[in-house]
Amino acid sequence: MQKQFRNVVVASMAAAIVLLAAMLGGAQAPAYRAPRTGDGKPNLNGIWQALNEANWDLQGHAAGHGPVAALGAAFSLPPSLGVVEGDEIPYLPAAAAKKKENQANWTKLDPEVKCYLPGVPRAAYLPYPFQIVQGPQNIMMAYQYAGGVRIINMGPATKAPGDSWMGWSNGRWEGETLVVDVTSLNDQTWFDRAGNFHSDALHVVERYTPRSADTLMYEATIEDPKVFSRPWKISMPLYRRVEKNARILEYKCVEFAEELLYGPLSKKP
Amino acid sequence: MRTKLVVAVTALGLLLMAVPAWAHHAFAAEFDQNKPIKVQGSVVKWELTNPHSWIHIDVKGADGKTVTWMIEGASPNNLYRLGLTKESLPPGSVISVEGYQAKDGSTRAVGRNIVFANGKKFFLGLSEAESGPAKP
Amino acid sequence: MSHRLPALAVGLAVMIVVALLAQLPATAQTPASAAKAPAAAKAWMVPRAPDGKPDLQGIWSDNTLTPLERPKGLGAKEFYTDQELAENSKKAREGNVGEEGELGAARPNAVRYDLELYGFDPSKLRYTSKRTSLIVGPEGVVPPMLPGARERNAEITAKNKGHEFDSYLNRPLSERCILMGQEQIPMRPGANEGNLLQIVQGQGYVSLLHEIDHSTRVIPTDGRAHVPQNIRLWQGDSVGHWEGDTLVVDTTNFTNRTPFRGSSEKLHLIERFTRTADNTMVYQFTVEDPTTWAKPWTAEIAWTKTKGPVYEWACHEGNTMITTILRGARVADAEAAKKGK
Repeated sequence: MQKQFRNVVVASMAAAIVLLAAMLGGAQAPAYRAPRTGDGKPNLNGIWQALNEANWDLQGHAAGHGPVAALGAAFSLPPSLGVVEGDEIPYLPAAAAKKKENQANWTKLDPEVKCYLPGVPRAAYLPYPFQIVQGPQNIMMAYQYAGGVRIINMGPATKAPGDSWMGWSNGRWEGETLVVDVTSLNDQTWFDRAGNFHSDALHVVERYTPRSADTLMYEATIEDPKVFSRPWKISMPLYRRVEKNARILEYKCVEFAEELLYGPLSKKP
Repeated sequence: MRTKLVVAVTALGLLLMAVPAWAHHAFAAEFDQNKPIKVQGSVVKWELTNPHSWIHIDVKGADGKTVTWMIEGASPNNLYRLGLTKESLPPGSVISVEGYQAKDGSTRAVGRNIVFANGKKFFLGLSEAESGPAKP
Repeated sequence: MSHRLPALAVGLAVMIVVALLAQLPATAQTPASAAKAPAAAKAWMVPRAPDGKPDLQGIWSDNTLTPLERPKGLGAKEFYTDQELAENSKKAREGNVGEEGELGAARPNAVRYDLELYGFDPSKLRYTSKRTSLIVGPEGVVPPMLPGARERNAEITAKNKGHEFDSYLNRPLSERCILMGQEQIPMRPGANEGNLLQIVQGQGYVSLLHEIDHSTRVIPTDGRAHVPQNIRLWQGDSVGHWEGDTLVVDTTNFTNRTPFRGSSEKLHLIERFTRTADNTMVYQFTVEDPTTWAKPWTAEIAWTKTKGPVYEWACHEGNTMITTILRGARVADAEAAKKGK
């Protein structure tokens, strides 16, 4: 009983200090505390979706032409303030040239056009929903686009034997935040339609922090010493799909890319 | 001990691999059983992709010219369960390959058997079986 | 500043309450279906997921020697005796098995490579149940196909005849990496990596990840209605609900191009998942399609928990099958043209 009382006093003094610091120093402590799952973790279950133009171009840009004249304004480049902190993507000189080349040849080179898996972090901000299914040992993120999926290991961290499109994810909780460390990504994915790319040395650390009942803050720190001169960071809210029977639906897009990929191999009439 | 377990589990899995309807058809459509190949070369690249992995080897012909062959192997997922990693086949390794050439005449083949230069067997194998009734 | 003082007090109060609550021991989970549990104290009880539902999570393999259909001559015999099973297992491990076992790639005339190089150990072959066939009941075989369905399927084959290599549209869905045999539901034992299934459960959903083609079904368990009828999906639309400790999943809305054993878009699939031991899951499926089979049929497979992890099996991104095959066909066309055929 004595010990318990002491603990309470210590806890409330610590809390007071934290509150005071928050009031004086600009709050760093999260204002929102998410409901808990049965195993005591912040509950991230649900269907989420980014609501921005990051998939077009991570960096801020004015509106612009789309790639296909026949689609006119319906498929033009929407304006955006961008999601990159500091708005700069710190390419090494050779890599900067490759980015320009990618961007100029977007429709030929962007893996999204071929219905290839989007990789991390692009999967989080494609303009389609994804679902978090949160178990105690594993958290699944199931993406609508191309049936992309990944399992986040919440046990002791493990290593991948090889590279993959969606990488290898080890997760842990830091207070209210799900921190996911992603490695072993292959070098085939892009970050957006603007040709921003990476090598197989890519290392992404994601942070998912509940911001309110229906929003998460998503942050991703991107590191790739073969392509960038330093780590850089993107951040954006993710919004819950609150429709009553919201679902992620089957989006097997292979069919829609086949003529592009295999058309030339068809029998000539 | 752990390796043994992994191998046993994999073996069980491989053994019980039912031949999907497409596999027989696909194999015959992709590779030519009348065009067996036997080549030796040094590893240039190992692609751990699905549905098949691919080993690229540089083969020196009798004419002194070097030709790059692409050898098809099993899904890397099988290989991971055999304990292999992307570091298991370093570039420069010399291997001998027996297999069947692709029907499109390219320097691609399915790898039936792969052996290191020192004779040590390193089998990646086929993921499709040759025959067996097509299952609807 | 004055308006902050009440906030500070409230904050402190909350902190104190939280700190006090943190002292309490974790509440023991009591199974919701305790009333249905057998009287015996030692009966196995399915563990509970954090939301109180039966915990089906883990990595599962459906490998078994049991064939889908009952061997001819066994008639209505649904189960082997222990001795018969032991004999069949022994035969299979010696590489000598007929209809009573499904060996797949290990069939002697199908083997193109020395399996021992793979570390193959035939002593590990086994049946996961005493069933003579996965299909249950007195007949143990798929019901005969209705004449209308035979015609329908014959028409499809006839249309493709002579055009099998014209374009990607003429190729099987699996070769196009659209729908692999091992990802298609209902789930049947098959290729080694294809039958690894990972189940992750979160609040209100059970998700199934099949390794092959990273095929994922995220199934709501609130028994909601299916998506509208006009939405047709390769794997249909799955909705689930709990019946006691069994997860029941109902799937409809298949396309008319989903070729499960020649069935149509009227295919209706009911799956039942029941965990019967720490390492065992009984998976039962019933299929019905009144335009294909005269009556529904049901199969049951015992799954075994297995060591993972499930690795990514991306199909389309590395699909060299279809390009090599189509190129091979164009080469053959060119050669035939040269010969003036």
